[in-house]
Amino acid sequence: MKKNNYLKNPYVQFILFGLVLATLPIMAQTFPFIKSGYIITIGGTLIYAIAALGLNLLLGYSGLISLGTAGFMGLAAYISAYLTVDLGWPFLASMAVAVIIPTIIGILVGLVSLKIEGMYLAIATLAVSEVIRKTFEEFDFFTNGFSGKAAKFPSFFNISLDRATTYYLIVIVMVLVMILMYNMVNGQLGRALNAMRGSEAASQAMGVNLLKYRLIAFAFATAFAALSGVLYVHFVRYSYPSIWSLKLSLDFLAMIVIGGLRSIYGTVLGAFIIFAVPDLFLKQIPYFNQLSYMFNGILIILVIMFYPNGIVYLRYDIKKWWKKIFDRKGKVNHDVG
Amino acid sequence: MMLDNEVLKIDGLSIAFGGLKAVDNLSFSIKENEIFGLIGPNGAGKTTVFNCITQFYKPNAGSLLFRDRKGEVQELTRHKVHEIIRLGLVRTFQNVELIRELSLIDNVLVGGHIDFKSTVFEQALKLPRAVKEEKALRIEAEDILRRLGIYDRKDMIAFGQPYGILKKVEFARTLMSHPKLIILDEPAAGLNDVETLQLAQMIRQIRDEFQCSILLVEHDMRLVMDVCDRICAINFGQFLAIGSAKEIQRNPAVQQAYLGNSEEEQHEKDSTVH
Repeated sequence: MKKNNYLKNPYVQFILFGLVLATLPIMAQTFPFIKSGYIITIGGTLIYAIAALGLNLLLGYSGLISLGTAGFMGLAAYISAYLTVDLGWPFLASMAVAVIIPTIIGILVGLVSLKIEGMYLAIATLAVSEVIRKTFEEFDFFTNGFSGKAAKFPSFFNISLDRATTYYLIVIVMVLVMILMYNMVNGQLGRALNAMRGSEAASQAMGVNLLKYRLIAFAFATAFAALSGVLYVHFVRYSYPSIWSLKLSLDFLAMIVIGGLRSIYGTVLGAFIIFAVPDLFLKQIPYFNQLSYMFNGILIILVIMFYPNGIVYLRYDIKKWWKKIFDRKGKVNHDVG
Repeated sequence: MMLDNEVLKIDGLSIAFGGLKAVDNLSFSIKENEIFGLIGPNGAGKTTVFNCITQFYKPNAGSLLFRDRKGEVQELTRHKVHEIIRLGLVRTFQNVELIRELSLIDNVLVGGHIDFKSTVFEQALKLPRAVKEEKALRIEAEDILRRLGIYDRKDMIAFGQPYGILKKVEFARTLMSHPKLIILDEPAAGLNDVETLQLAQMIRQIRDEFQCSILLVEHDMRLVMDVCDRICAINFGQFLAIGSAKEIQRNPAVQQAYLGNSEEEQHEKDSTVH
């Protein structure tokens, strides 16, 4: 009984979730059917999940849309690669700078959000993202242009990580981001953002400063995107301008719509569906690469039709079905008794 | 400037939209612990007055003095919309603006927004101050819900709750801010007779238990006549009369505004002449 309560603690759940994910490199060594390449796919998925969590704070809670996630993520990736490789900075310092610069730009975009909303905000953020992406192509002294920028695995205090240990780092960062996100959305900030999405007039009457909370939402969304960009470039160890395109921003949107708006596990689930599932399973099907857009599209339509709040709500239906089966069994037992 | 027992003093309030004078040189004041009604026929400018007080509109002329929670006199027009609640002035909405996805208690806690001193980082890291504040406000919110008789529903989601319950939650949310004056925007809208009676009781209960004044902007005459200590009637943005329910009912200018008798006669006379 006591053990059960302990497992219901959300923080314990987040850490357990992280521990399960952390077993992957060991599993890859033990079981031959889990290829070591899976580490890259799952690690990449978790990195994308971090950025998607930020977008979920922005879109799910405050109701502001952004199509600029990929641009900010890429900017952080290039900054971190440049600082560590070209200038020889330590990983932690370059990570700090690579998160702060995009966050400042994100806050500036947040200022614009007071004037424009909805579709127009989507277009404005898309424009910012495309401008940033264009600089990746043109400023080749900084980004190495189309040939791509190389980076190394992270290193702390003279310890250089390899692929498996970087994967552990990603898992740790993601669990931390999940916990931070959980704390934020279940406190005053979450309520203020919810109020703002529900009704601007009502939230203002309750003392919510719209400008302040929009800036906070944009700041966290871009900071999470930047953090995931840094992890990306030091895990995949390469960055090309073409990665940070509109398609990636739309994929983030698809992740949270399919996975679940305002759901932390839903966001991670969405990242798995959008990135890991095609990579691990569907690529085996011939011609699938050309059809992956279709897969996302069909999935979005199905999810919006049947689970408008995201596929994560499937668990309530599963619970219901489970209960039905269980109750029927109980009834039979009762009749027998 | 402002009498000691007054909580809100409106003096010469005017606002125009284009050429239309929505409110024209309106003055009245509300005393402490008073239930005050603002009435008028459709288009009289009630809601405009309401929006001027809560600073959703900035008036063209006139002063809006308010005695805040600390007892200091404040000019409302110098404050931004989101600062008004800090002074102790809070409003409800005609269509009950609650957050559908949140539980009732979380909705009430939105009303405690201004009482949080801890920063976003303290909240994200769950530092002691943030935890303490959240806990204290949650206890306060539970207490208010208990006093309004909806404590047993506190963890239910707002979406799908009966309208009467939602109205109570909105009241509870305003009470979280320790208001000096609550402004109710047509609270009887959408309620049946029994519910309107209960609402009248609740308004009195809130005034007595939470020691605040209440300004009622209302269409429903039964409610206004039932609960208000004093009533101000306006029409076409202009002052008509002020007084007790009986005085207002007897006032010829008010009768004319509501029933429009003599005006129609006037109109008939005019048309026969031409």
